[in-house]
Amino acid sequence: MRSRNGNRSFLFTFLAISTTVSFGADHYYIGYRLTSKNTQPIYETLSVSKAMQPCHPFTPSESITLERLNLENLHTLLRREQTAFLEFAASHELHIKSNDTFRTINPQTLNSLTLPTYCYAVEFNDESVTITATK
Amino acid sequence: MRISALLALLLTVPALNAGFFSTDASSEPQIKCVYSGTDGHCVEPILKSQNELVITVVGQGVAPSVTASPAQAYALAKRAAVADGYRQIAEKVRGVRVEGQDTIKNMMLVQSSTRTSVEALVKGANVTNTTFKEGLCEVEMEIALSYSRFLQ
Repeated sequence: MRSRNGNRSFLFTFLAISTTVSFGADHYYIGYRLTSKNTQPIYETLSVSKAMQPCHPFTPSESITLERLNLENLHTLLRREQTAFLEFAASHELHIKSNDTFRTINPQTLNSLTLPTYCYAVEFNDESVTITATK
Repeated sequence: MRISALLALLLTVPALNAGFFSTDASSEPQIKCVYSGTDGHCVEPILKSQNELVITVVGQGVAPSVTASPAQAYALAKRAAVADGYRQIAEKVRGVRVEGQDTIKNMMLVQSSTRTSVEALVKGANVTNTTFKEGLCEVEMEIALSYSRFLQ
């Protein structure tokens, strides 16, 4: 059970985060696709697009903070920190499609991994970027 | 009349033995072991409302032969390994569609092919361990299944 002061600080923190995510952050649509053939990646694309209008409804979920170098934009930052971002985003939802063909010669396996394009709230700071996923 | 009564009795006795008219509701259905664990004991992969069912897989990926740096090779091999891990999770949870085709000509098998495919949306899988050795990347992944997650 929280004390009264604990409740007040919790409420203040929640309001601060909600206000920042709602008004202080930009909204971006981010998607990813990877195709691997015979366990080797052959095609990979990461698409980043700034939302023309704020995403609605936006219910903030988990967030990740990535280091920002030389005031780089989101696309450059995500290409550099792609692994960290993908591990963060993939834990929510990921689409897998696999087709394997086995013949007497030339067995072939093709896996396609797709991160569905979702809206993320991105808050830019001088040395870091906080990306918040939606529920 | 006597003959028909005798016939009906003869037909009823085997049916009772076979359990067709059995009203015993307490008999539990026999559940077969679907797969065995690593220690040889039967692992029952049935999701119950009380506990979670954790599925663990190991995905493998190989770096492309031409890469700009060892770091890029590692990153790409890990991506492929994660894709392989997700495929295995989808196969275990959702199931695999299997299509086979044999071509026989003049009573001889000339071509045989098997195609397997799976398509699924996976939520909440995690990478628990990663190893990279001699160009092969292995990632250990797990997913916890529960009633509450299915009902979402």
